[in-house]
Amino acid sequence: MSQETQQTPEQDAILRTAIDRSLRHPVMFFFTSGAAWLAVSLVLGIIASAKMVAPEFLDGCAFLTQGRVFAGHMSVLVYGWGCQAAFGVLIWLVSRLTRQESRASGIILTAGHLWNLFVAIGLIGILAGYGTGVPWLEFPVMVWPVLLVAYALIAIWTMIQFRVRSTGAVYVTQWFAIASLIWFPWVLGTAVLLIFFVGGNALMAAAVAAWFHSGMIYLFFLPCAAAAAYYLAPKVTGHPVHSYSLSLIGFWSLAILGPWAGMQKLAGAPIPYFLPYLGAAATVLLGVPTIAIGYSTLRTMLSDTAKFASSPTLRFTAAGVVCMIILGLAGAFVNLPSSTLQISQFSITAYGMDILAVYGCFSFVMFGAIYFIVPRLTRREWLSKRLIKMHFLFSMYGVIAVASLAVLGGLIHGQGQEDFTHTWDSAAERAYPYLVATLIAWCFVLFSNFFFFMHLLLMWMRLGRRSSHPTLLGHAHLESPHGEEGDIDNAGPGSVIAH
Amino acid sequence: MSHSSPTNNSTRPDLDESINVTIAHNPSLITPAAAREFSNPGVDKSPLSLATFSLCAVMLIIGGAVLGNTEGSLFSYTNFVKPNYVRGKAPGVTDDAVMPPKAIVDVYVKKGQSLYSAKCNGCHGADAKGDGANFPSLVGSAWVTGPSERFSQVIMNGLQGPTSTGKVYGAGIMPAQGGGMSPQDLAFVMTFVRNSFGNTVGDVITPEMAQAAMDISAKRAKAGSAVTAEELKEHEKDLPGEKMDPATLIDPITLKVVEAKK
Repeated sequence: MSQETQQTPEQDAILRTAIDRSLRHPVMFFFTSGAAWLAVSLVLGIIASAKMVAPEFLDGCAFLTQGRVFAGHMSVLVYGWGCQAAFGVLIWLVSRLTRQESRASGIILTAGHLWNLFVAIGLIGILAGYGTGVPWLEFPVMVWPVLLVAYALIAIWTMIQFRVRSTGAVYVTQWFAIASLIWFPWVLGTAVLLIFFVGGNALMAAAVAAWFHSGMIYLFFLPCAAAAAYYLAPKVTGHPVHSYSLSLIGFWSLAILGPWAGMQKLAGAPIPYFLPYLGAAATVLLGVPTIAIGYSTLRTMLSDTAKFASSPTLRFTAAGVVCMIILGLAGAFVNLPSSTLQISQFSITAYGMDILAVYGCFSFVMFGAIYFIVPRLTRREWLSKRLIKMHFLFSMYGVIAVASLAVLGGLIHGQGQEDFTHTWDSAAERAYPYLVATLIAWCFVLFSNFFFFMHLLLMWMRLGRRSSHPTLLGHAHLESPHGEEGDIDNAGPGSVIAH
Repeated sequence: MSHSSPTNNSTRPDLDESINVTIAHNPSLITPAAAREFSNPGVDKSPLSLATFSLCAVMLIIGGAVLGNTEGSLFSYTNFVKPNYVRGKAPGVTDDAVMPPKAIVDVYVKKGQSLYSAKCNGCHGADAKGDGANFPSLVGSAWVTGPSERFSQVIMNGLQGPTSTGKVYGAGIMPAQGGGMSPQDLAFVMTFVRNSFGNTVGDVITPEMAQAAMDISAKRAKAGSAVTAEELKEHEKDLPGEKMDPATLIDPITLKVVEAKK
């Protein structure tokens, strides 16, 4: 961002428009297909939740059994929605920040189709009973090498753009974006190699899987969310990032601590004693980067309260950042050895933490980024602020409910599991009311995302509003139900400052 | 550096040469959304707030406590598999509330079952009836249900040639099964086979008896080779050691005898 002063605002705007145009097809493809996978994942999640409450639900079909549907639900959430939303946002952010048009949009788009095809094959494989049974790596083994190749084809151009950037300070968004682009293949490649292709001790494979699970959250989803939040907050408010050095503390503490976390999930297993303890300590310490990132982005967003109240981008991003802070603090709270770790280890708490990370923290920031990026790519404004509000409120209700019910209910559940003087059934009974509430909350989330997907699809078809005015959430534009109308031809540079 | 926005053109002359009016108002070159973006918010160097600093310090202290709580045993490799592991009591459970004691024969049969599945199932089958051609049945076998020393030597060393019925089975030789077994394991599996599948000897092979069986096995003249029907005649007696009442109550986890409550 620091080099943009060299040019006039008009030249800047022309360059931005050119970058947006070059990336229109791949980024819109990632967003739209990601949103479609999110809807698929939510349907599977609702079926899986319903089966936790009423096991006889849909028990006639083998491919809809709990083990397969739940595995499909998480896999599609992570690889269908999460990764694709991240790819779209990251390649757009890095192109904008390195001030270069994308020169390989065709290849990225093709690789994106390959990715989608193999996510679909993987989901069919899971439902057909060929899942691997490794959490978050459930797709059949043959899918993983293809996904890694598709990833390389998507990400390599962004790395090249970063490599040939003009000199100057690297903005913190680029730190996070490039780091997550490097950490993702490291974490995924290591796990796939050590678990599926190098025959090793099965126990260490379980430890690697636990490390991978944590790595995907803390080394991919969290830095992606941080990258987008650090871009959007100053971009929308027009104010600089509050206490910039704090953002670098956030980055380096995440980079140093993130890779150690994860193996506390194997506490009590016969693996070297120090691994679970280091994992637990690192997970507690990951509170530091989440506080640092969360505080500096939130302060930046709150620097302009009027925009904060009206911008959909800021509303979603702020919600995601708050979830990030909660994730950091909750991670410390549920991973304390010899107090909370043993009651969270095997209970539904783990699921709540996953949803808090992937849906609460990561997805909300991605929604914020999508609400910012899509009007620039499609040259249309969002159709309806009501749809945006509905998406926000129902998603927020849903994710608060799912995460808090599963995390807190999981602790109750875990206490029941620990109480060996009672039967296992009694532990399951303790979790039951929480599972019923989780099912209802997922329905809220699905409802909200149905509207989000339809809204995005209309934008992709360029059926958005032809206006020079952004779609804002406040009550400022009472003359029209959807926001102020405007003639696109009047929209010269500097005609409106908002959004 | 701070806060320059697209409208903030006051430093430039009105008709800057770089502004081409046709370009600037051509929506195909500049989208409205791109035009209204802020370019360069600059850098803020506010100091770290005390609240953030304190909150981070709290996280560091908790993290340190997690590591410190290991009492210097973080890299101790003896700590992750504890000998004679006995599970701690659940919170709020008093000393009186222990697992309900069970009869020793029931506990031993249950533990022996898993050893049988690992060691014997492959040949003698899940129902211990063998297959009639290659592997003999253990149900009602005189050597299984007879004197315990003879049975123990077959398990410890394997068997060559005819079995208790005089028949020579297709497999010809049973390999020794004693390798890797502790006296406790041998006691479990012997008690299990003698009291299951319709065998009703009703006695318990104690770990002391099993230890004696291992000592006898080690002192054999032809130690290491499978026993034969001829050699087994020497072992036609019960293993030495104090016999236990099969109804004796023991703790199913610690395996210690529980004193009857007064």
